[in-house]
Amino acid sequence: METSTIQKLENLLLVSVPRDLMDDEVLRLRRQVVREIRKYHSRWVMLDFSAVDICDSFFGRFIQSTADMVGLMGADVIVSGLQDAVVETMIELGMTLENIRAVLDLDDALALSRTVQRTEMYTQGMKALNGHDIDWDNGWDALDMDSLHRDTHAIAEV
Amino acid sequence: MSLTRTLTKTRVAIHNDVDVVVAIQKGRMLAQAHGFSTNEQYITVTAISEVAHNIINYARCGEITLDIVEQGKRCAILIVATDAGPGIPDVQQALKDGYSTGAGLGLGLSGARRLMDEFEIVSEVGKGTTVTMWKWRNDNNNRAKNSRS
Ligand SMILES: Nc1ncnc2c1ncn2[C@@H]1O[C@H](COP(=O)(O)OP(=O)(O)O)[C@@H](O)[C@H]1O
Ligand SMILES: [Mg+2]
Repeated sequence: METSTIQKLENLLLVSVPRDLMDDEVLRLRRQVVREIRKYHSRWVMLDFSAVDICDSFFGRFIQSTADMVGLMGADVIVSGLQDAVVETMIELGMTLENIRAVLDLDDALALSRTVQRTEMYTQGMKALNGHDIDWDNGWDALDMDSLHRDTHAIAEV
Repeated sequence: MSLTRTLTKTRVAIHNDVDVVVAIQKGRMLAQAHGFSTNEQYITVTAISEVAHNIINYARCGEITLDIVEQGKRCAILIVATDAGPGIPDVQQALKDGYSTGAGLGLGLSGARRLMDEFEIVSEVGKGTTVTMWKWRNDNNNRAKNSRS
């Protein structure tokens, strides 16, 4: 079997999914992902499918259950690198994946994670302003308010 | 279909998930070697994976045969998945999107039927199940090119 690699990049966990995984390898990969999220406190798990040419319903269930599991750990799944023909086959098969973001490549994934992170910090900041305790030492003053507004709007438009 | 000529026959015994991957790989090689498009290859291996998973999930073991069939200039890949498992009591129901007696998504049979050009299930309770699927190679693009020149 081709081995899967899991790498940490910023707050992303990058998982390159190999082709032709056997069922128990798929389950092992899911367990490993969950373990590494705990280790690195990752906010995102990017499942990179560029090597994969088959996304049957077993695989679909793997993506969905991984997303559900990592969701309980406060992380989100991003799927990337799905080939055109794979996407077509998945849709024709009738597969729908919920609460999963898809991007084309690593650059887009990084952009997404950074934008969301800034927005989350912004929202937290606003909450703190409206409420009481502001933790000024915690990176709040390092934020660029203009770009935060832009990003928040960009997200609202998606 | 009297003109149909069978070119090759590959048999894969299906007992576990290793065999499923073997069937997928043989299907991929066969489709590649006979000039099926990327799309057709992906569709074919996905359908193979679905019926192979059904064999290990519901019948425990069975067999998949892969075949290239020629009819005049047309070419198809023919997949037959057979088992002597419990059979399917209501095939129409099993073919509905989302219907599953297991923990699956219930998209295997319905999805494979949508993906492939021809699709047939014969099943008898207590005797077993046979799924037969065809995917024709689409030669239209080549033909269009030839007629233009
Ligand atoms: N080879 C088989 N032998 C017995 N029952 C089967 C077989 N293949 C499919 N079935 C039945 O048909 C149902 C639908 O199959 P499928 O569409 O592949 O969905 P899933 O496998 O996700 O349940 C299965 O839940 C099972 O009850
Ligand atoms: Mg199935």
